[in-house]
Amino acid sequence: MASSLDLDLYLDLEVFAGPFDLLLTVLLREEVDLLELELAEVAAAYVTKLEESGEIELEVATEFLVLIAALLELKSRLMLPSAEDDLAELGPEEAIDELIARMLEYRRFRDAGQAIAELFEQERGYLYRSAPLPPAFRQVAIENATKVYEPEILGAAIGELLEPPARPDLSHVKSTVSLRSRLNALRAALQGAPEFDFDDRFGRDDRLTQAVTILALLQLHAEGEAEWRQDTICGPITVTGARRASGSVFTTEREAG
Amino acid sequence: MAVGSDLTRTIEALLFLSPGSVSAAELAEACEVPEDEVLEAVAGLEAQLVEGDRGVILRRVGGGFALASDPRAEQAARRLLSKPRTPPLTQAQAETLAIIAYLQPVSRPEIARIRGVSSESAVTSLSERGLIEESGRSRFGATIYRTSALFDRVFGLEGMDQLPDLSAFDPSPEDERELRERLVAAGEQRNEP
Repeated sequence: MASSLDLDLYLDLEVFAGPFDLLLTVLLREEVDLLELELAEVAAAYVTKLEESGEIELEVATEFLVLIAALLELKSRLMLPSAEDDLAELGPEEAIDELIARMLEYRRFRDAGQAIAELFEQERGYLYRSAPLPPAFRQVAIENATKVYEPEILGAAIGELLEPPARPDLSHVKSTVSLRSRLNALRAALQGAPEFDFDDRFGRDDRLTQAVTILALLQLHAEGEAEWRQDTICGPITVTGARRASGSVFTTEREAG
Repeated sequence: MAVGSDLTRTIEALLFLSPGSVSAAELAEACEVPEDEVLEAVAGLEAQLVEGDRGVILRRVGGGFALASDPRAEQAARRLLSKPRTPPLTQAQAETLAIIAYLQPVSRPEIARIRGVSSESAVTSLSERGLIEESGRSRFGATIYRTSALFDRVFGLEGMDQLPDLSAFDPSPEDERELRERLVAAGEQRNEP
């Protein structure tokens, strides 16, 4: 069952971390308790993966649904009163032996728990210093550190974080008009002719380009590179290049840079 | 003798400053004296801070030494520091803590298997109380737990070997016989028409 599923889904759950295929294998071997497994988290991980990949392979998705449904059914059965069902296949004597073994094991830890609770009560009155060590005295002794995770796994995880992310796909973004390009266009126009009519030069551009060009013109005006004049409302706009002391028309940004 | 008194004073100061238990080796390294001298000085300090005489007592916990307040000062200390009294362990927490203490490191599914019920809530509470901590993952990725350093202090243990031997809780043959009889009786009662 597990090997037939071509699903590259990695899970990081409370009771299991690894690929989905391996989860199925260990569940079948009863090495992970299905009762402890949050199937909703598995389903959520799958949906997240689908969202990330942006495509659904119907065969794989169907197979996943069948598998998760089967696991849900199995888990539901397990959650119903099950102790007797598990023992149903055993003979009466074997069932009693099995049940007694389980109950005795539980009883051992129940009594140990009682002793622990009594010890807790007995010791509860002793209070220890809980303030942190003064900062000047704090130190980290590496030899006192205990290894919790394999360094290779930790290194690989951190390494992935350090890798630059893939360039985002901008194919869906429509081309825009940048202020910089319109500044360059205006400067080039002013270099060709110290004075020109705005409509003559840019009237054939689309509305967005014309609007941004007006903004660029405002910018040039603010910087003292150009003047503009409009004698009547909605009338023609005449753009004039300001002249520097040297008498030359302003240079383009590239030349200036 | 003077050196010995100096050492006792220094050790008392170090224990006062330390938020956790300090081992004899750590004290020896800090005081630049052999460990046996530290143990001798600690014994002297222990005699001075014996329970019943002073507000502060010396305790051997967590494989080292720590200063603690006298239990008779507990209520006043809690009022001063506005700390509510630590709630007692519930039965589920005590059983779960016993399983972790004796079988550590152990995973939650294993705890649930022994107790016969899900132990998620008890494990979470014990983690929040700082008595247990994660100690990695099992080979199948399940989180495994162990007792924390705080556990040693809260239970006044020098080390885990101070816990009573687990075999002390082995059910007796009488317990087993009684269980068997109860089960058989229950089975017969069910089979009756």
